[in-house]
Parts: sequence; structure tokens; C-alpha cells
Amino acid sequence: MLVFTLRRLNLFIFTFIMLTALSFSLSFLFPGDALTNLTGQINASPEQRALLAEEYQYNSHIIKQYWAYLTHLFDGDFGISIASHLPISSEIMNLLPATIELSVVALFIAMAIGIPIGFLAAINHEKIPDQAILFVSMLGYSIPIFWLGLLAILIFSIQLGWLPSAGRISLVYEIKHITGIQFFDILLSDSEYKWQAFQNATLHIIMPASVVAIAPMTIFIRLARTSMLEVLDSSYITAAKAKGLTFWQIIYRHAIRNSLVNVIRHVGLQFANLVTLAMVTEVIFSWPGIGRWLIESIFQRDYTAIQGGLLALSSFIFIVHILTDFIYAALNPLARDRKHGA
Amino acid sequence: MARENIYQEEEFPSPLQQLWYKFKAKPMIMLAFSCFLALVFLAIFAPIITPFSSSQTHLEFILLPPAWNDDGNVSFLLGTDQLGRDMLSMLMHGASFTFGLSFIIVITSAVIGVVIGSLSALTSGFKSSFLNHFLDVILSIPSLLLAIVIVAILGTGLSNTVLAIIIVLIPQFIHTTRNEVKREFAKDYVLASKLDGASSLRILQYSIFPNIIEKIITQATLAQSAAILDIAALGFLGLGAATYIPEWGTMVSNGIDLFYIAPWTVYFPGLAILFSVIVTNLVGEGLRHALKQRKEY
Repeated sequence: MLVFTLRRLNLFIFTFIMLTALSFSLSFLFPGDALTNLTGQINASPEQRALLAEEYQYNSHIIKQYWAYLTHLFDGDFGISIASHLPISSEIMNLLPATIELSVVALFIAMAIGIPIGFLAAINHEKIPDQAILFVSMLGYSIPIFWLGLLAILIFSIQLGWLPSAGRISLVYEIKHITGIQFFDILLSDSEYKWQAFQNATLHIIMPASVVAIAPMTIFIRLARTSMLEVLDSSYITAAKAKGLTFWQIIYRHAIRNSLVNVIRHVGLQFANLVTLAMVTEVIFSWPGIGRWLIESIFQRDYTAIQGGLLALSSFIFIVHILTDFIYAALNPLARDRKHGA
Repeated sequence: MARENIYQEEEFPSPLQQLWYKFKAKPMIMLAFSCFLALVFLAIFAPIITPFSSSQTHLEFILLPPAWNDDGNVSFLLGTDQLGRDMLSMLMHGASFTFGLSFIIVITSAVIGVVIGSLSALTSGFKSSFLNHFLDVILSIPSLLLAIVIVAILGTGLSNTVLAIIIVLIPQFIHTTRNEVKREFAKDYVLASKLDGASSLRILQYSIFPNIIEKIITQATLAQSAAILDIAALGFLGLGAATYIPEWGTMVSNGIDLFYIAPWTVYFPGLAILFSVIVTNLVGEGLRHALKQRKEY
């Protein structure tokens, strides 16, 4: 386990260096002046600019510049937004939790529905339910998400009027920003309308989260199906059959547990995909998350925001990767020693 | 055991022929394949066969519903948009942007990715592990985010989107090729040609490449459906094709404001994207299935 942890740590450090180097080099690649892109100080006077150049070691060697950039990052200074002149770090702290909330809820929906369906397909392998499930999952995988979101709004918000179409919570409720994850904030607040607010927030998240969940759900169906088929094919299942266990006993006691372990391994890899989908969905449902902010930043030529957002989102995804790796290693002793590096 | 075959000459289909026999055995897949070919045809010849030009406006027929509606007009089969442009012609033109460009994207990124991937499979030690980690980092950045960053560098527009998606897809091809080449390199037939004195490049070209080409094609169909969705998504977000270009994702975003009055301006482009992605996925699925069967055969 120690070697495993050290390897992950090594990977984490490497990734961090790569990501910061990428985001640092972006300030040179983006149109305009590198120092302005890096700091976001677009209206700086010559004196301020000289001060900034001093701070960021702008006139010395590129390695020193990178080091200066890193020290700024560790101080939590991502520069200020070119568009809003607010510090990027505070913007990210406000927006990232909303994206995390949306994508985690979507991940749970996708897993809770996708994995059992996948198991069902594997149990009925090459029979009609299997074929039907595969076809529907193909359909779900192929739908363009922005179109699905629009259809969902048209049906559930406009025609049926069941669910709200935009935002995280109705403006009536005033929730203080504590953790940023809205459900926690509501529970932590001492308002007397706590439960109404909680219901309202739940109603708001159902539609965007389900829209985000559709494509990953189909992938989980496939993963669960393949992993279950592999397990059902193995010799300990035959042994269990020979012991005289009934079919459902075999499925519950042996097959489901062992195939779940393999599915969990892929959760981390799915997460990047999920965040991509969440970014588009945020635009459609006006969800105040980091994806919508990043896409708006392009139109506003807010390069500092794009740099900071890229760094924040990708490190978040990478942390999730490593966490799932650890969970997988904890669940599956076989994975601890063998898996090297990648 | 006596042979059941009464004919003297037996036919030995080549691997590619075998693949084709397996592939065409499923009617559903063949249906999808013919739709795929039809889309290719449309992407190439759309400007010749559309009833109207995609930019021609008919100001007397603005927001005309599809022909099966009571207010429809049969010369505009799928209705018109807010500028009186014929939806059917725009959709047909759109095939060459959304579907046709995805072809160019996939071929370019496949060629670059396969070359880099197979060369990198020959490296070992520090270089190899560096590359591995590097790919891990790139693959952990969400594809849309990477595309957005590239679009921010290059500026918006259809050609820049194409370039961005090519760059986004390359690491996936490198990853697949690298893994496949490494797996083949461990096999005995490669050892045989190595003992014959073949150089690594020669082994790659003559021994390994014919054995992994199908895997790469399968990866390419996956990449193509991703590319179609990405072009459309970037077009929808306003980062891709300019609004006057009848790219399907852009058409959806143009129709949003009129969604409630004229839902067909949103329904049809979305259905077109859905249709082309399903068709591509089915063809890919058929290929994968045929490959698996041929291996077992």
C-alpha cells in the first residue's frame, strides 16, 4: 500500500507541474500581452505595471517567471478577472462548488440507475431484454446533450410545468454562502424556511442532473454489463453452481460484489466526460457553475479566468481520479501490488 | 471425419473479406451502413441536390411549418426559419459541415495519432513513462475544456473549431495505438521477424500494422461520433460555425429564441445530429462485433 501511495503521489506532483506549466504557457499563447493575461490587471498604470513585472519576475529567465507564478498560485493568487475585476480565486470558490454539486448528483443518478440495468442486461445475455437495453443505451449515448436539455425544458418546464427551468434555487430564499454546496448550506442555515428551501433546491437540480446523467448512465450500463459477463464466466461461479446455490444466490452473494469492484475502477475515468457534459448543461439551465463562467469568459476575452478555471477544473478531476484509484485499491487487494504507474 | 464439402475448390477469404461477411450478416447494421453511405453522399453532393440554396431567403414564407401541417407548403418540406430559409436545404448543407468535417477531423487526427503512438511504443524507460504520464494529464482534462482553451487561443470560427477538435482527439489515438502496438510486440510472431533481423520500423510496417488496423478503425468510428457531437456542441455554444453557416449545432442555437413558436427549427437539426451519431455508432458497433466474431472463428 505504501508503494501504491508513493506512486500516486509521484503522479500527482507530475500532473500538478504539467498543469501549471500548461496554464503558465497559455498566458503567452493567448492574444495580447503576457503579463496582462497572467495578472488580469488590464488598466494598470506604468508604475503598477513595473511593480507587477517585478513581482512576477517578468524580465528575468522563463524558469524564474514560472517559479514566481507558482509562488503566486500557492498564495492563492490567481490574478484578477479581466471582465469583472474580482479575484479569480474568490470567483472559483463561488462557482466550483455548484459544478461539483451538479456533477456529483449526476454521477449518483447515473450509477444508481445504470449499474443495476447493466447487471440486468448481463443476466439476460443475448436475450430480448439485453438487446433492448443495449439499443436504448446506444440511443442515450448518441443524443446531443444541449438538444436533450432544450427538449427537457420544453416538456417538463413549459408544457407540464413540473420543474423550474433555470438556476439553483428560487430567489425568494436567501441562503448564506458557507461551503458553497447548496444542500449543506441550507442544512447549516437556521432559517425557518429551511425545508421549503431544501425542496426548492431539489426541484431545481433534478432536471439538469438527469440531463447530465444520461450519457454516463449508458456508459455505466455497458461497463456493468461487461464486468458482470466476465464474472459470470469465471470458475468460482461454476463452483458456486456446483455447490447447489440457486441462481439468485449466486448473483447476490458472488457476482454483484465482484463485478461492482470493476465498475468502480472506471468511475474516475468517466468523471472528465461528466464534467464536459455538465459545462454545456450549465449554459442551458443557467446553472451558476464554473463551466458557464468559462464559456462566457471566452466571449469577454477574459484570459485570466480561462487559465484559472482550467487549472481548478482539471485539478479537481485529477483529485477525483486519484481518490477512485485509492477506493479501488482498498476494495481490491489484487490491484495494490500489480498496477504500476498508469 | 468425412468432409461435408462436395466441392473440390475451397474459398479462403482474406481477413478483410471475412470481416465484410461477418459485418453484413446483421440487417440492422447494414441498414445503418447504407444510411452512413447516404450521409457521405449528402456531405459531398449537398450543394448540387438541395432544392434551394442554404442562404436563399424567401421573405413571403417566414417561419412556415413543415408540409404536413395545415399551414405548410409542400415546396418547403420541412418548413422555413425566421429568415425564410428552407429547412430541408439547410439540413442537407449542414451534412457537409457537421458530418463531412467530422471525417476530415478523424482522418487527420488518426494519421497524426497513429504515427506518434507507434513511434512512442518503441521507446522505453524514462521517455516512455514521461509520455505515459503526459497522456494521462491530457486525457484527464475534459475534452470540451481543452477545445475551449484552444478556441480561446485561435479565436472562434468553424476552421478553428476543426483544428481544436483534431488536437483534442489526437491523444486518444496515441493512447490506443500505443497500447495495441505494445501488446502485439510481446507476441511470438514479432519475435520471429525480430530473429530474422528485421528492424523495428519494418516490424511495425509489415507485421504489426496489418494486425492493429482494424482496432484503429474501430477507435476512429468512436472518435467520429465524438467529433460530430463536439462540432455541434461548440456550434451551439457560439464558439464554432458563424450563425449564417447551416451547421446543425448552430442551427439549434439559432432556433432557441423561437422554440415555443416554431419548434421545428430546433427539432430537425437536433434529430439530424442524433441520426448521424446513431448511424456512426451502429457502424462502429457492427465493426467491433464482426472483429470479435472473426477472432473467435
